[in-house]
Amino acid sequence: MAIRVNPKLIDEIERYGAEDVSNCYHCGNCSAVCPHSKDPFVFPRRSMRMLQMGLESKLLSSLEPWLCYYCGQCSEQCPREAEPGETMMSLRRWLTSRYDFTGISRLFYRSWKAEVVAVIVLAILTGLGFAFYGLSQGDIRVYDGPGAFLPSARVHLFDWGMAAVLTLLLAVNSVRMWWFTVGSRKDIAVPLLSYLKGVVTLPFHFFTQKRYAQCGEKGPWLLHLALMLSYVVMFTLIMFFLHEVQAGPQINWSVHAFGYAASAGLIGATILMLRGRVKKTRPGTKHSHETDWIFLVLLLYVGTTGVVQHVLHRTGFELAANVAYLAHMMGVVPMLVLEVPFGKWSHLAYRPLAMFFSELVADGLRARAGAAQQAGVPGAQPARVF
Amino acid sequence: MTRDELRIGVYVCNCGTNIAKVVDCEAVVEMAARLPGVVVTRSYKYMCSTPGQEMIVQDIKDQRLNRVVVAACSPRMHERTFRKALQTAGLNQYFFEMANIREQCSWVHDDSEAATRKAQALTRGAVYRVAFHEPLDKLYVDMCPSTLVIGGGIAGLTAALELAEAGYPVHLVEKTERLGGNLARVDLTAPFLDPAADLLTDRITRVHENRAIKVYLASELKELSGYVGNFEAVIGPAGEGSPGAAPSCTVSVGSIVVCTGYTEFDASRITHYGYGRLPNVITSFEFEAMLRAGRIATREGRTPQYFAIVHCVGSRSREYHGYCSRVCCMTALKYAHEIKSAIPGAYVSDVYVDMHAFGKGHEEFYRQSSEAKTLFLMYDKNEHPLIKRAGPHDDCEMLIEVNEKLSGEVIEIPADMVILMVGMEARPDAAHVAHLVNISQDKEGWFIESHPKLDPVATTTEGVYIAGTCAAPKDIPDTVAQARAAAARILARIAREKIEIDAVFAEVDEEACSGCRTCVELCPYSAIEFDEGRRRSRVNSALCKACGACAAACPSGVIKARHFTDRQILAQIEGILA
Repeated sequence: MAIRVNPKLIDEIERYGAEDVSNCYHCGNCSAVCPHSKDPFVFPRRSMRMLQMGLESKLLSSLEPWLCYYCGQCSEQCPREAEPGETMMSLRRWLTSRYDFTGISRLFYRSWKAEVVAVIVLAILTGLGFAFYGLSQGDIRVYDGPGAFLPSARVHLFDWGMAAVLTLLLAVNSVRMWWFTVGSRKDIAVPLLSYLKGVVTLPFHFFTQKRYAQCGEKGPWLLHLALMLSYVVMFTLIMFFLHEVQAGPQINWSVHAFGYAASAGLIGATILMLRGRVKKTRPGTKHSHETDWIFLVLLLYVGTTGVVQHVLHRTGFELAANVAYLAHMMGVVPMLVLEVPFGKWSHLAYRPLAMFFSELVADGLRARAGAAQQAGVPGAQPARVF
Repeated sequence: MTRDELRIGVYVCNCGTNIAKVVDCEAVVEMAARLPGVVVTRSYKYMCSTPGQEMIVQDIKDQRLNRVVVAACSPRMHERTFRKALQTAGLNQYFFEMANIREQCSWVHDDSEAATRKAQALTRGAVYRVAFHEPLDKLYVDMCPSTLVIGGGIAGLTAALELAEAGYPVHLVEKTERLGGNLARVDLTAPFLDPAADLLTDRITRVHENRAIKVYLASELKELSGYVGNFEAVIGPAGEGSPGAAPSCTVSVGSIVVCTGYTEFDASRITHYGYGRLPNVITSFEFEAMLRAGRIATREGRTPQYFAIVHCVGSRSREYHGYCSRVCCMTALKYAHEIKSAIPGAYVSDVYVDMHAFGKGHEEFYRQSSEAKTLFLMYDKNEHPLIKRAGPHDDCEMLIEVNEKLSGEVIEIPADMVILMVGMEARPDAAHVAHLVNISQDKEGWFIESHPKLDPVATTTEGVYIAGTCAAPKDIPDTVAQARAAAARILARIAREKIEIDAVFAEVDEEACSGCRTCVELCPYSAIEFDEGRRRSRVNSALCKACGACAAACPSGVIKARHFTDRQILAQIEGILA
């Protein structure tokens, strides 16, 4: 059955940052130079092609965009400046919006103004909520202990509640991702054993980001790994040790040492990433979508206010510390609520899942090829297009 | 001249190491030195070099040589060079013979000894032969300064103007009612988007205003006789002739430029495309007409949204024509450009085989078209796309099914209008023209040049030139360049006033001719006339190419090929076998 070409899709995906896709004349240099491009996931040329032709269903079921880490060698090699690396990035944004069942992601990626408004509204609501709660039950001059403005036990409960909601949203979107890329594929049947095998490798990929390291240059991978590990440490501290973190004013090194390291990692990595985007140091940072800026600015804001409220508390300025804490929460809530399920941060789930799913698809394809060979069907092997 | 008076010089060229690395040149020299009549033998690194030629000139003067043999490369390469050296030394240039010991020995043999023996044999043959050479003189005929240009397209107009503006009369014959040819059917030209009308109008006006050019509209060449510099052409009304057409007339011309152009491929031959069956499948020329009229619309009068341009219709395929028509790729890009200018919301799919963007500004134009989001879809040249009507729920009128090579997917392309890029084809009357002016056609019907690379405007018939798309598909710049080149060749001839004819041609001993006419039928150059009154054949030396067919065939043995006499050839054979 022939697939219908949709010349209009390219206009849609351009709103997600893709540019110059139509310049590509399919020499294949990009796929040749890409360290990750391996059968059966050969890219980025094929993705460029699907996009040019507007083969929406094919794009939606493709995992290739998530297997790319944007080292940018493809864009550097491209004889026509068709920016294949940026196309893969844009496809990740588009896929994120398609996995998201609420439509919020699509709204934000297509209109940065909508996202900014949402951030501001959510910040104000958070600020008002916490201020109202704090003033109604505590003293703004007390940071922790009895009568605290924002007691850690309550904040802890709020954090867990928020985490549960966000995880649910992301989980639903992840299931949709599975359905689009693996579940709905009629042409392959994935053996159950493959699922078990893949689950084991998931945490490994998550914590090492080994594939990113295979991109050639180690700098971007190290930076990204530092940010991610700092985030994981901070997340652990807040979700499980919030009470110990907030207790003071003396410094509890066994807990705070981790916090300081994580803060340094978060803020340092964010600053370096922002700097890279401003100076456009490598192909991967040459093109910045508005949503990239919003994400990094929020991250820097949250990191900085977190440090400020901590320092103020330790130095005895409890009132100021509480105000800074309020400001911190006004950043944390919009950042997590908007970015984790609907924005750039969702890739914390999609990237490792894509690796998992790609192994499933590869196994499925292998099984199919094996079965075809056994059946002796000539030409059962699908034609490979690089 | 008896053998005792012979003073032959033999020169063996090493050609750097080209000859010497296989052939023992010294052995050839030693052998030659012992031959009767040979007084000078030398071997030298490069005989064709100035010192090499001077060596021959000096020996002719000092040693009173009266024959020269050079054993070197092919005579096609340097026979002229050495003949000139003989002339310089005051010796008749035909007292020269060349032995080819490079192409025929060193380049084709590994066995050094055998190659040397062969080189010795060839050189000996040349020495034996040169003894019987006779002094020959070149002939000269008058050059008529008028030119006949056949075809009033851009090639014919250009050639006519070039000649007339140099001050020489031109007879421009055009089959249709007006000048301009196929270019007059075109809107803009790719890739610089100049209007074709601008290119043409100026030239047509200049042609009509130029008193040296006589334009014959609705006319054609009816008959041609004569030879280079002295043709007689009969021009008459085209086809069967209409009542209003000018009567036939005869003109004298010295040269002829054939610029008869091309015709387009008949798209209905490819049934897959539904041309003639689907109303909005049109040819590129039909689309040009829309562009020139300034309104792009379907047959129903609607503005199309989805366009599809199909390349290589009739070109580059096994069933139709194997060649590339050269202009369609850029024309297709031009359509994409014009469509997007006229209808900003339109989507253009360009269904191609390979994009040939070889000329100046072409690659840039291709890139611009990509940037303007023309969707390029590649099909296999032996697997034609299938064009069919869309269903009632589709937002387009037609769907084109293609096995798209770059994605490996079988796809459907939406289309409201399909433009078929029909290729160029030799005109059906090309064979008739070729016969009239005595030139040849290749298997596709294009006229054949004298040499595809080094002599692309001349033909095998002296004085007849070809320019433009009658020789092969070409674009406007190439056509114009070829037309001007033809004109330049003719002007060079006119400037010399006389035409030199090679002294090597066949002669009939008219006293002994029995009038059997075998030679008349045989001559591939129509160079032999039969004198009905005297019942004798006569060779027109200006037309004769000295192929020797008549001399070999003459049952009475009375046709002599000058410079290829029986005596000379037998002596050469004797030398080789000695």
